[in-house]
Amino acid sequence: MSTNSIVHIGRWGLLAFMLATWQWGWNLKAPLGQIGLGWLVPTVLDPYFVSKPTLIWNRFLELGCLALPRGGWAWNDPQGFLGCVWSPKGSLWSHTLATLRNTFWGFLVGVSSGVAVGLLLGRSETLARIFEPYIVAFNSLPRVALVPLIIIMFGLGDVSKVVTALTLVFFVVFFNTFEGTRSVDRDLVNAARFLGASDWQVTWTVYVPSALAWVFASLSPAISFALIGVIVGEFIGSERGLGKIIIEAEAQLQIADMMVALIVLMVIGVALVLVFRAIERRLLRWQRHHAERAQN
Amino acid sequence: MANEGASGSEASAGRALRIEVRNLSKTFGSGGGNVPAVDRVSFDLRQGEFVALLGPSGCGKSTILNMIAGLIPHSGGDIRVDGTAVEAGRVMPQVGYVFQRDTVFAWRTVARNIGYGLEIKGVPKVEREARVARMIAQARLKGFENAFPLTLSGGMRQRVSLMRALIMEPQILLMDEPFGALDTHTKLEMHQILLEMWERERQTVVFVTHDLSEALTLADRIILLSARPGRIKEDFAVPFPRPRDAIKLRETAAYGELFAKVWHSLGEEFAATKAE
Ligand SMILES: Nc1ncnc2c1ncn2[C@@H]1O[C@H](COP(=O)(O)OP(=O)(O)OP(=O)(O)O)[C@@H](O)[C@H]1O
Ligand SMILES: [Mg+2]
Repeated sequence: MSTNSIVHIGRWGLLAFMLATWQWGWNLKAPLGQIGLGWLVPTVLDPYFVSKPTLIWNRFLELGCLALPRGGWAWNDPQGFLGCVWSPKGSLWSHTLATLRNTFWGFLVGVSSGVAVGLLLGRSETLARIFEPYIVAFNSLPRVALVPLIIIMFGLGDVSKVVTALTLVFFVVFFNTFEGTRSVDRDLVNAARFLGASDWQVTWTVYVPSALAWVFASLSPAISFALIGVIVGEFIGSERGLGKIIIEAEAQLQIADMMVALIVLMVIGVALVLVFRAIERRLLRWQRHHAERAQN
Repeated sequence: MANEGASGSEASAGRALRIEVRNLSKTFGSGGGNVPAVDRVSFDLRQGEFVALLGPSGCGKSTILNMIAGLIPHSGGDIRVDGTAVEAGRVMPQVGYVFQRDTVFAWRTVARNIGYGLEIKGVPKVEREARVARMIAQARLKGFENAFPLTLSGGMRQRVSLMRALIMEPQILLMDEPFGALDTHTKLEMHQILLEMWERERQTVVFVTHDLSEALTLADRIILLSARPGRIKEDFAVPFPRPRDAIKLRETAAYGELFAKVWHSLGEEFAATKAE
């Protein structure tokens, strides 16, 4: 049997085992307890804490407006589906959209400002020395501790979530761009100058492409940080979003709701990272490890 | 002793002065750890001269070239290119430079590397592509236009660097051991390509090398430097007729004679380097 099929069987087997334990594990507690093996089933498997896959699936259908509140299925009743998605109290999809939108803006603004400032300070020794103590000081502050302040400053709406995300994203991207810019090969810069490039053209045609590998290395963590920022912002105070579903589910002990939100978050995280890997492969195809992967 | 400002080749006498180097010195470092690298070097280059700077490793060849190019400041003396004093950090548009190290842009294809300078200058795409295609043909790189440098051999990459400089039609070309990292066979191929090009365009060239046969094959004149700190030891004229054939030239008696003569002088410097 090839290694690939072993890996596939292992992966699916593990998934089946985890789902089965989740669904039925707790039911084994009592019979196992009679023969003194109750400790094999830990208390955290109690559906009171972790719910059950079937319950979560049902809640997913309801929160996702697939099973409509007025009865029937979404695919038989498109109008009812839309009404439910955009209902005033919100649905899984409207909350997801809010979280995604804030993540997107936080990521976009954080990455662009991180790249811009990284390039600027990477190109100017003087500016780098002026800003260094402030950057170090601000970066050593756990950004999450700023969230209450950010919410006071920018309100419970979307802006405070975007700001939280971007303070997290900015620094990762900034440090990578800065390092990437500083480690540019001096001879490449000189070669470009001899071919007539101005300072500005050298920046665009030598510094940016050389630093690009470093910038990309920071984008996967940046995506995670953007999501973290938005969710934490939503925990502390918000009108909508997946973080709000989670925090409300905690208050009401609706574990199934919480699990639905967590699984959606996981899917979003994976999807975003995959998209960035694809973009990276395209833009950095001149690099050795990307070129080799492309040949496989 | 230094042959002050002499011009090795008779033919170029009377042509315009392109490069004047007077008592050029360079000391690296400051305070106690001073490293004298170049010591009072003087020479003149006239329009269309091909000069080889020859000397043992570490004698200051790259340092001299970098000072002429304005890449590093000099510590003493005077350099003029076309009558203008060279200032470190300011690039002269008539000067092209080919580095000792491989400096192709890894993120650009062969064609876009060669076309880089024209792109920077804003030459229209159609003209640019035509000129790039001509260079690619001369460099025998046909079929590799869209390849990224990581898929090329060392010799191919160095041809890309060379063509990238030459496409700008520099009147003065500074080359720092551009073929130093190549095997003998590839080197000869590069010599032939460079000879063909130079015999057509007749740029003013300073070519740094520690390889005597390379200097004899390409240059009109060889400036021999002493072991560190670099001083001019001798200035040889290389009067072989042109056009030259890189391979056949080496079989001639004249080549053998001049080789022996310069070799003797160079050998003393190799010995001095070893003794250090
Ligand atoms: N940036 C520097 N700082 C201190 N010393 C230097 C520096 N650059 C070169 N040197 C010294 O100056 C001397 C001449 O160096 P240079 O690079 O010009 O030699 P070269 O003749 O080009 O040698 P090679 O043939 O090996 O390239 C060497 O002894 C070197 O140690
Ligand atoms: Mg050198």
